[in-house]
Amino acid sequence: VQVELTVNAGKVTDVQVVQYPSGNPRDQEINSYALPVLIQETLDAQSADIDMVSGATVTSVGYAQSLQSALDQAGL
Amino acid sequence: MTAATQAVRRRVAQVMGLPVSLALRGRHTDDSRADDAWAAAMATLHDIDRVFSTYRNDSVISRLRRGEAAEVPAEVPAEVAEVLAIGERARIESRGAFDVVRDGVLDPSGVVKGWAVERAASSLRGLADTDFCLSAGGDMVVSVADPERAAWRVGIEHAADPTRIRAAVPLRTGAIATSGLAHRGAHVVDARSGAVPTALASVTVIGPDLTWADIDATAGLALDREAPRWLATRPGRTAYLQWSDGRTQTVVGQAGCPAD
Repeated sequence: VQVELTVNAGKVTDVQVVQYPSGNPRDQEINSYALPVLIQETLDAQSADIDMVSGATVTSVGYAQSLQSALDQAGL
Repeated sequence: MTAATQAVRRRVAQVMGLPVSLALRGRHTDDSRADDAWAAAMATLHDIDRVFSTYRNDSVISRLRRGEAAEVPAEVPAEVAEVLAIGERARIESRGAFDVVRDGVLDPSGVVKGWAVERAASSLRGLADTDFCLSAGGDMVVSVADPERAAWRVGIEHAADPTRIRAAVPLRTGAIATSGLAHRGAHVVDARSGAVPTALASVTVIGPDLTWADIDATAGLALDREAPRWLATRPGRTAYLQWSDGRTQTVVGQAGCPAD
């Protein structure tokens, strides 16, 4: 892949892709991924029985109070 | 042994200013192979941070920002070109809502995190008969090696209350990423207008790889009210939206529909 950067007053102001590599294995991979994803809504965090938590980015500072931290503590 | 009794071994480290959590199940959870794979995954993240950090003065990205490296294109490492190309593709596909250049300043952080964790996860794929879940700040790559074992169960945080879980997703392979304003405030904006989303509180995207799940979650949040229509066009992804008014919505992307 080739990219072209436009620099203005010492800052990169634009990125242009000049050339993508030929053939994109990623597209094939995505197209072959057709598993239905089941999302189960829950009202009770305690009974959710989860392994990990996906949420708005927890910084290192906020981590100590997070649910993920509680899960990690349980499995250390 | 049933899936429910399968022991999960966990590790945590701080990298790139983020808590990185690993959960392992199966054959190599607590032995030297597991230790080595974890160390290799962390080394990958540290290496990437050295190249891409916008907080380090000596990173390639910081030098690009100062216009030092751009004069000599050959000095830009291949991985930087790869990330910038992904960013450019994301900008085009999101119709400009996602952009690694904002107000004339290069910041590829929106691409780097998911891409970095996806790379780091390759060290864990070498662990035979071992399931893993590698998360950086709530965005993760998951894998289940044995079809007999249960899927990982990933909880989606409640956008209005990070101490609660709003939904759970069983995942065997792929990635899940969430963008929301809950922990860091207004760090996601529509790159076209600079507007902070108001209707959407959080976007979770599930897909085959974390690079694009993470980008799509960020772009979806930035698109705000346009998110459902845009996410429905995304191949192989499923999105879970939490609106500010409390409603939730699941959007299944094009090729991600079940056959029937």
